[in-house]
Amino acid sequence: MNYIEPVREFVVENFLFGDSGRLSEDTSFLKSGVLDSTGVLELIGYLEEAFGITVEDDEVIPENLDSLRNVSNFVESKLNGK
Amino acid sequence: MKICSNCVLPESFPGIRLASDGVCQHCLAHKGSPVQDEALKKKYSDKFFRALEQIKASRPGYDAVMAYSGGKDSSYILSFLAGQLGLRVLAVTFDHGFVSPQGSSNIVTIAGKTNVDHITMRPNREALFRAFRESVIQKPYSLKTLQRASSICNTCMYLVKSFLLKTAIEMEIPAIVYGWSPGQIPIQSSVVQLNNSMIRQTQEALFGTLGKVIGDELRSIMLQERHFEALETREAKSSYIYNFSPLAFIDYSEEKIVEDLKLLGWVPPKDTDANSTNCLLNSFANHVHQREYGFHPYALEIANLVRGGYMTREAGLAKLNSAPDQGVLAYVRQQLGIKDREC
Repeated sequence: MNYIEPVREFVVENFLFGDSGRLSEDTSFLKSGVLDSTGVLELIGYLEEAFGITVEDDEVIPENLDSLRNVSNFVESKLNGK
Repeated sequence: MKICSNCVLPESFPGIRLASDGVCQHCLAHKGSPVQDEALKKKYSDKFFRALEQIKASRPGYDAVMAYSGGKDSSYILSFLAGQLGLRVLAVTFDHGFVSPQGSSNIVTIAGKTNVDHITMRPNREALFRAFRESVIQKPYSLKTLQRASSICNTCMYLVKSFLLKTAIEMEIPAIVYGWSPGQIPIQSSVVQLNNSMIRQTQEALFGTLGKVIGDELRSIMLQERHFEALETREAKSSYIYNFSPLAFIDYSEEKIVEDLKLLGWVPPKDTDANSTNCLLNSFANHVHQREYGFHPYALEIANLVRGGYMTREAGLAKLNSAPDQGVLAYVRQQLGIKDREC
């Protein structure tokens, strides 16, 4: 299942204040400045609450969290692994 | 100016929506949740103490390095770590040139009473003041980042975090501790091990932002390639550096914190504004932020504290509406070389 859209909605609402123009599925959150280090932690809080997953400390890596596509794949893998 | 009838966020706050009853969407989302989630606090408290057991057993040096500003929150946590928990703490004060006289006195008092090793990092004053000035004039931060703190505070905090991370790596200290209040960080980030690749990515992104403002000045405060390499040789997760923010999960009461600190000789400053207990720069930073963006940079933190039951709405509004000392504003403006028309 593709989780890109709910995550996009969260990021656009909370970090871009409705301006979705800057955000493609592969935009690096950190490199583009969409998220800073505190923003990553807020994203984790959202993912845990919205999807009922626990993000372990060693899962806080760019490959899992640094773009819409990475986050969607990560959430899918966590939910499939349950 | 309309203000949320439940918390303190104004209608000028980025992204806010006030419902017909005057309540903001953040308060509506929080409605029905426990004021303070005790189960969540216990979860992170337990995680913290498990981490401490691992840390204390692992090596003979410092257990933690702590960002120590002399303010009430970091003074309380320093006392908690070194006094109550008996940890070996290296306290680091980042002297940005605007620590209030009472704040300086409190630093000496509390560092002495807690018997910690304490160092003061005082960066190149000219370069640091230039960084603060350019942070205001060039506006390098996103609106989201500015929701949480002013441009000046963001620059200061980035430098502090970088320096502490650098210190932890160089001295092989397993944990970094901050005195962030429950309103400043999500509880999920109060006990976290910093993943090496994320450290590199966030530091590079940080320098991408700050570097535009300060160039290579102050670069020596930040991580160099050798630090990343040192991290990357630590493959085991058990060797990752911890970040602790204990105020997020211990019982937090401003009044109790101040009363406990007074017993150690800490004196509530009369020379700072309502939102700081150590820093003269704070007033100026808040003032320019409000003029530029139309909301107080402490609004988010205080809204979170009000929503969390740590502070009444009335007390929060009083803090946000307190007038700055004009003499302090003029002093800071003159020190930083910012002309009135610039911000």
